[in-house]
Amino acid sequence: MLHRILPYRTSLAILVLFLLYPLVDHNAGHVNAAADAAVFALLALGLNIVVGFAGLLDLGYAAFFAIGSYAYAFAASPFYGLHLPFWPMLLIAAIIAGVFGLLLGAPTLRLRGDYLAIVTLGFGEIVPTVFLNLPRYTGGTNGIVGIDQPVLLGYHFGFNPVPYFYTLLVIIVLSVIAILRLRDSRLGRAWLAIREDEIAAASMGINLTVTKLLAFSFGAFFSGFGGALYVAKLGIVSPDQFNFTVSFTVLAMVVLGGMGNVLGVIAGAGILYEFQSLFLADLTQWTHALGQAWSLPALRVVDFVNFKFLLYGLGLVFLMLLRPAGIFPERRIRAIVTEGRGEIIPEAAPVAGDSPAADVSPPGES
Amino acid sequence: MILFAQQLVNGLSLGAIYAVIALGYTMVYGIIELINFAHGDVYTAGSFVALAALTLLGATGHMAAAGVAFALIVAGLAAMLAMGATGVVIERFAYRPLRGRQRLAPLLTAIGVSFSLENLLQLWMGPSPVPFPQLVPNPFFALGPISIGQMQLVVIFSSLVMMVALHFFVQRTKLGKAMRATAQDWMAAEIMGIDINKTIALTFFVGSVLAGAAGVITGLYYGTIWFINGFRAGLIAFTAAVLGGIGNTTGAALGGFVIGFIEVMTAQYIGFQWAEVMIFSVLILVLIFRPTGLLGQQLPERT
Amino acid sequence: MIRRLLSMLSGLAVLGLILMVPGSTGLHPASAAGAIRIGVDLPMSGGEAPNGVPTNNGILLAIDQANAAGGYNGSMFEEVLKDDAVNGVHDPAQGAKNVQELLADPAVVGLVASFNSNVGKATIPITNGAGVVQISPAQTNPTLTKPPDALEVRRAHPDQINYFRVCTTDDIQGPVGADFAYKVLKAQKVAILDDQETYGKGIADEFEKEFKKLGGTVLSHDGIPKGTQDFHAILTKIKAEAPQLLYFGGVTTTGGGLIRKQMPDVGLTIPYEGGDGIVEDEFLTVAGDTANYSFGTVASVNVERMAAAKAFVDAYKAKYHESPGAYSANAFVAVKIIIDAVKAVGPDRAKVRAWVANLRDYKSIIGTFSFDENGDTTNKVISIYAVRNNKWTWIDQIRLGQV
Repeated sequence: MLHRILPYRTSLAILVLFLLYPLVDHNAGHVNAAADAAVFALLALGLNIVVGFAGLLDLGYAAFFAIGSYAYAFAASPFYGLHLPFWPMLLIAAIIAGVFGLLLGAPTLRLRGDYLAIVTLGFGEIVPTVFLNLPRYTGGTNGIVGIDQPVLLGYHFGFNPVPYFYTLLVIIVLSVIAILRLRDSRLGRAWLAIREDEIAAASMGINLTVTKLLAFSFGAFFSGFGGALYVAKLGIVSPDQFNFTVSFTVLAMVVLGGMGNVLGVIAGAGILYEFQSLFLADLTQWTHALGQAWSLPALRVVDFVNFKFLLYGLGLVFLMLLRPAGIFPERRIRAIVTEGRGEIIPEAAPVAGDSPAADVSPPGES
Repeated sequence: MILFAQQLVNGLSLGAIYAVIALGYTMVYGIIELINFAHGDVYTAGSFVALAALTLLGATGHMAAAGVAFALIVAGLAAMLAMGATGVVIERFAYRPLRGRQRLAPLLTAIGVSFSLENLLQLWMGPSPVPFPQLVPNPFFALGPISIGQMQLVVIFSSLVMMVALHFFVQRTKLGKAMRATAQDWMAAEIMGIDINKTIALTFFVGSVLAGAAGVITGLYYGTIWFINGFRAGLIAFTAAVLGGIGNTTGAALGGFVIGFIEVMTAQYIGFQWAEVMIFSVLILVLIFRPTGLLGQQLPERT
Repeated sequence: MIRRLLSMLSGLAVLGLILMVPGSTGLHPASAAGAIRIGVDLPMSGGEAPNGVPTNNGILLAIDQANAAGGYNGSMFEEVLKDDAVNGVHDPAQGAKNVQELLADPAVVGLVASFNSNVGKATIPITNGAGVVQISPAQTNPTLTKPPDALEVRRAHPDQINYFRVCTTDDIQGPVGADFAYKVLKAQKVAILDDQETYGKGIADEFEKEFKKLGGTVLSHDGIPKGTQDFHAILTKIKAEAPQLLYFGGVTTTGGGLIRKQMPDVGLTIPYEGGDGIVEDEFLTVAGDTANYSFGTVASVNVERMAAAKAFVDAYKAKYHESPGAYSANAFVAVKIIIDAVKAVGPDRAKVRAWVANLRDYKSIIGTFSFDENGDTTNKVISIYAVRNNKWTWIDQIRLGQV
């Protein structure tokens, strides 16, 4: 038993840290941010299947996030008068999102590369706009209010972010296990084959249509979990929460974390979310504090509110210039990128017994 | 019927702007397969530079025609050159180091550049929309029952001029030929002695010049500029480029006009709020039946 | 082996840094001895800056003035500002987090939040649960206070109102606009456009409801896709419908100004009307010469007719070198209420909330008002403005119930 856990020791240690986090930090706002980061980690896990495993460039992932969120909101709020219980709906929302993954993936099957990207981007715009333009069915721009919040064994979650955080951690762990299994299965290898060379994969007998559709479907499935938990915690849903920047943010998390690297994208999600929500937001206060500590009056009056985008943008540029394969690149990707050529290093496909932890390449290694 | 024709005119002027911006997108994509998300912001920046130039020259709407012409030429050149230079700089420092490798890193970089540009523009002229002097009078002419504004004519005309000029440049000049060669097969081009880096830089230069010019024209046309304009314009322009066939400059122009047309007709017959849904739906339908766009793509051959 | 260990350690260090930094209050600027804090949540960055920045300036002005007058018992007032715009767009989830962070700071006695009604729906349940006062200068959607919808929002303590607003709601402004259009401007047929945001659509819908009730005809009611610059197509369509007035629900930056400007291009010479979202200097800047013959309703008394308000405008201009924004005065009043509450009952959250809930006949630069049983202002005065000689000129004032 120990030998199966040992390769994951780093990740488990970090998991323990996360489990302890809400006990240490009693600031509900921070825990809430951590919970939202966990939601985005789920999204990143889902998108990782589409972009990281199957190599399908999806620029409109927020559409699935929206579908999962609204699915739960329709089923558990005063809007339609339905109040289905949360836990089954969590799974059902994921399934509904998965079905839409099939539907929205279907038109893209014959498309290559960036044509696929623009179609997915199109769906990313169409879905929220449809929710916006049909107020009688979706609440329109006002969205849906008063979404039911989960109850577990008599305990009401309410607006306290802590139980959501733990629920998300459990779901993330289960999802990671499932996804790792998926990746090492025939389907997973079919995805990786498509990613590297579609034509060769097809000539080896892989059914492109089914494989691609399943990639979209599984990818969307996880956004359903994220969506339901996200809006349950927030209590409301509205179309303007699912714009292009959300799609882009999840994509950035996947790339940052290292495409294809399951644990890496979780790290990518955490880091990028942290950067966006807490670091940039509080930068002004920290600089002031720093100015106070080092007695530099200039630092105490600077205000970063107007510079947020600039810092974010420059940060992205530098990060990509320094580590274009992401912070924790999957070994195959890193090999391709650093070699600069289109060849794949002839590496044996993962065999049972191979250490999966090898994919979690720590920073510092080139 | 008259209404339809009138809307057609509106669609032409709207589409012309989209077409010019789409050209820059498609040229860059055709040569290095990069979706340059910052292109829309280059377009906006062009209008900002032009405004700054006009302010420096003290141009107002009450000057004599010759003065207006002079001011516009100066401002236009300033905007185009500044944007051309900006494009080259962005390519050199943000995109070139990532050339040839993974497809996604440059995409993220492009968005990073886009955010940075937007913020810089916000810092330059403030977070609110800024007025742009209306130097060209805008009387309306009647063509039978249809009316067309002078500015609309200016927009359509100048866009066509730019498209023709680009076509001429790409098809008939040596530099243009170098661009086409690099776009088709950069390794072969390099072997033939073409300086790839310079050619790519030139592509960015030309594309950005066009975007800058479009910015000046829309500044004059709408009379207001806002730092956040670039995002939507860029998105639509990119959609136009794909619709026509990425890498194909004629396709981009066609795509721009088609999208302008769709937007206008949706406003008239379906409901303006559905404009974007219609545009993307048409795009998806077209791509289902013609997976490489209306006029087919022109992409680098893979070695 | 060593390399992996080092990498792992550096990874853990980065992680530790990430976890530690927000959690450590030690890095937050040490507040001056016992400063009394007022939490503020507004959309401040990106495209939201024109909304949030002037509003926040009003708040800062009030705090400065209070501190100049000595603060409270030697303690100064301090603002803690949070931005709820993520990537340039207001985000309810960010608002919720901001509010929770503000509430976690024991020195915060009350909140001035937020700007957008959707953010309100996410934040009010939280502040209601904590029993902390939250005053909004700009959220106008009626469902935030009026039952039955509001009961969903204040679920924790439905009868202990903690959310108040100094601005009037859309269901008052819209109908007054409709009355004015029908009775004064004598328009029987109107076309309506809205920017599809909660404020714009809200006020446009209310206008439509009332206008139809009065017997008028609404020829069309369309929404504008976000970021549109070219309105010639939709205006051409509207011209063909031959309306006598065009009503716009929204603000200058979401189309209010450009629509007015492009109306003459298609030959639309009818009057143009909107809500307080267009009664601002920015509208005049964008619309330029075409601004004349535009009308707007504003949910407050004419500040220029009140001496106290004039002092506010002058002080604002002196400090910020520009005219106040549409909601700067409201924000000023909102924070001043909290300041006055502290001065009356001390920096105690529950007492401040109770004091504000019992606010009666409060004199302010936007008029004298009380808070009703839902937390709405009783100040139901709507002013009507018209653009004459390229300036917004006050022309009338309507008290609710009278036309």
